[in-house]
Amino acid sequence: MFSNWTISRRLIAGFGLAGLTLLLIALISYRNADNLIENDGWVEHTQRVRTALADFLSQVKDGETGQRGYLITGTDEYLAPYQAALATIGATLDELRSLTSDNPRQQKRLAAIAAATDTKLAELKETIDLRRSQGFDAATKMVTTDRGKVTMDKIRALVAEADQEEADLLKQRGDEARASANSTMAIILWGGLAGSIAVGLIAWFIIATLSRQIGSAVAMVQSSSSELQTTANQQATGAKEQATATAEISTTINELLATSRQIAESAQRVAQNAEQTAGAARAGIGTVDLTHESITGIRRQVDQIVAHMLELGRKSQEIGGVLDIVLELAEQTNILAINATIEAAGAGESGKRFAVVADEIRKLADRVGGSAKQIRALIDDVRSAVNTTVMATETGSKAVDAGTRQFADVAAGFKQISGLVQTTTEAAREIELSTKQQSSAVEQVNVAIGSVAQASTEMETSVRQTLQTVSQLAALSTDLLRIIQPHMAI
Amino acid sequence: MSGTAISARAAELREAFDRSFAAPPRPDEGAAEDLLAIRIGGDPYAVRLSEIAGVHTDRKIVRVPGAPAALLGIAGFRGAIVPVYGTRDLLGDPGPAGRWLMLAAAAPIALSFELFEHHLRVPAGAVKPQEAGGERRFVRELVRTHSFVRPILHLAAIVAAVTPRPATASREER
Repeated sequence: MFSNWTISRRLIAGFGLAGLTLLLIALISYRNADNLIENDGWVEHTQRVRTALADFLSQVKDGETGQRGYLITGTDEYLAPYQAALATIGATLDELRSLTSDNPRQQKRLAAIAAATDTKLAELKETIDLRRSQGFDAATKMVTTDRGKVTMDKIRALVAEADQEEADLLKQRGDEARASANSTMAIILWGGLAGSIAVGLIAWFIIATLSRQIGSAVAMVQSSSSELQTTANQQATGAKEQATATAEISTTINELLATSRQIAESAQRVAQNAEQTAGAARAGIGTVDLTHESITGIRRQVDQIVAHMLELGRKSQEIGGVLDIVLELAEQTNILAINATIEAAGAGESGKRFAVVADEIRKLADRVGGSAKQIRALIDDVRSAVNTTVMATETGSKAVDAGTRQFADVAAGFKQISGLVQTTTEAAREIELSTKQQSSAVEQVNVAIGSVAQASTEMETSVRQTLQTVSQLAALSTDLLRIIQPHMAI
Repeated sequence: MSGTAISARAAELREAFDRSFAAPPRPDEGAAEDLLAIRIGGDPYAVRLSEIAGVHTDRKIVRVPGAPAALLGIAGFRGAIVPVYGTRDLLGDPGPAGRWLMLAAAAPIALSFELFEHHLRVPAGAVKPQEAGGERRFVRELVRTHSFVRPILHLAAIVAAVTPRPATASREER
């Protein structure tokens, strides 16, 4: 039932129980003391009532004493007690009424006493007046009627009753006071004893349970401190490694930052180069267009050259035809000369001169034939050259066509290059911008890493403080265990 | 050769032609052999001008039925019908006949050959008899020219070979 109670609850319950016991004892004692004090007050009150009753009776007696002295002596000086009694008796009666206002019987008695007193005082006055007016005898005669004595006896009896009543009350209140005092003593004695026992039991219970629980808690604290110490050591090592790693990361980020800046500069240069390349590509497109026009002109020239060459070939062929006729003529001339030589030889001596002419003609024909063959060879060379030139020109024309197409491709390529270079420029600018943003981000990361490094250092310091605190905690738990359970202390 | 060179060549020819008529008659140059340089089957040969009665080209040759392989046909020369023989066939190297024809002086026979190269006038000492062991058919002599040695066709032997002989002679030959 109590195992789940907290220490404060147990302490509150234990000390509360002890406090309640003490409070109960105190209350009872207070009440008894109060009763005693009240009883004492009542005793004093009763004493005052009895004193007042005695004073009243004495004052009545003083009145009677003054009356008798005056009656005897007739001297007014003896009336002093009577006068004094007349002055105080009423007040005394009032005091008695006041003191016994809580007692109806006494009030009733006091009423009777007052009536008797009035009667007595009237008798005294009457006798005194008789003495003064009629002399001693008349007064003695009045006295001897015993009326005064009876009244006095009645007063005495009533006062005695009242005093007895008060004496009874005094006795009753004394008994009550003693009983209350005894009760108070018993309560103080037994209550203190019981309270001490209860406090002792509660203290023992609290100490026992608290020692056990605090001991186990301290043991757990020790164990936890040990684990915490290990963890703190690991954290310290980890924090140190983290600080080292953070420093390395910071270095790497610095290098990355430098690299990013270099990339940004390179991208800027690439953008500039790309712009220059774009300009060069545009100039190249213009040059290609001009070259295309030149090639078109070359193509027209080549076509004209081909036409001229074909014409030249045709003319050469015609020359060849004419030359064939020349060759044939030379051949025929040669044949005729040879035959003339033969005929001249047959003509004997007369034909010798003819033979000479025929021989000269033959030689000339030989030369003409040789020259014609050379010219023929030349013509053939010219035709071959023309054919070669035509073929070469046609090849050139085809090459020009191909060149034209290739130049168109080149122009398209230049335009594509220009477009690509434009794209490259934009990409390089985007790269530059992105790299600058990246550099900014990397700088922020660097700052953050710096904060992390500082945090790591602070964490390391904190962990060291934690370690120190844990050591102190372990020592404290050992001390605490030693304090609460010396036999369990290490 | 440029046009200037051709003009110079023409002028040279013209001058030589004129000079030939302007020069006085030359004394006899001594013993000299007039030959014709020809090609038969691509091989160089020479023929004595004295054994030829004439040179012609591109004559129409009419084939003769049943004629031997060497007899190409017959052709007309100045009103005479002359048999035409292929020299190449006669030399034992059959092949297409040439467009050139030469008339033998010894008999009315025409021999075809493929190419007339030029006229050849050599001193008599340039003609040598054919050495033993290098004998060819219808060749008995050789003529040395600038570049090489040409065998000289012996037309008399060719004429003798293709001309029908008397019966006795034929029998002796058999």
